[in-house]
Amino acid sequence: MNKDLLLRFLLGGAAVMASYLIIVVSPWEILGGIFAAFPAVMITAVLMTGIKSGTKKAAKIANGSVYGMIGGIICAATVYMVLKWSHNWGLSMLVGLFFWLISSVLVSSLKERIALIKIKPFNGKMVLAESRLRDHK
Amino acid sequence: MGELSISALLIRFVLGGAAVVASTMVARRLGEKAGGIFAAFPAVFLAALLTAGLDLRGEDLVSQSIVLSKGAMVGMGINILVAIIAGFLLNKYGLKKGLMQVLGCWFVVSMVVVAITSY
Repeated sequence: MNKDLLLRFLLGGAAVMASYLIIVVSPWEILGGIFAAFPAVMITAVLMTGIKSGTKKAAKIANGSVYGMIGGIICAATVYMVLKWSHNWGLSMLVGLFFWLISSVLVSSLKERIALIKIKPFNGKMVLAESRLRDHK
Repeated sequence: MGELSISALLIRFVLGGAAVVASTMVARRLGEKAGGIFAAFPAVFLAALLTAGLDLRGEDLVSQSIVLSKGAMVGMGINILVAIIAGFLLNKYGLKKGLMQVLGCWFVVSMVVVAITSY
């Protein structure tokens, strides 16, 4: 178990490091710009989960990462706004990280609630149909 | 070609590795969806901010961080699209083929966005 986590740590770290190396070593500026936002952590997490637990679980990790990435945009926007407002670099990073976690979890649970609401009207109709059928009898 | 910084390399290594381990542990305890949230930990963005913090001070640091934040918003927008496509392609084509196609999609979309925003 610890060996597995160590391997994941090494691979995740190497992937993020490699994208930085490409930015620095690349003679083409456009390639540097592209790799500045390479989703190295997501790709590594999906790959490792796929190898260890199968493609379906890997696809779930990819789906779950959508919420984290929405949180990522909110994190970057928060850092931007706090920097503009306070000019405090450390504070902007702390508030940005806090908002990343809160917004990722909120978006994820909101999506689950919407999915439940979509199912409920169908169930409501079923209950209504059943009660009408009972009344008719 | 830019200048290679060892501290920047190390920060990226630690943040990237820690995010993958956190994603694995959260996925094991709370399920893959929760693990996915940590798979999207903005390690690259934070590493870039921390590296700027090592090299710059005062107003230079603030203005560089503002530029980085603007770039990160665009990059994460691309990554959301890629993650949605990944969920679909992995289920349809399997791990190897699906992941290769995901990387191809990411490269093409990023190239188009970088080309549009650069010119």
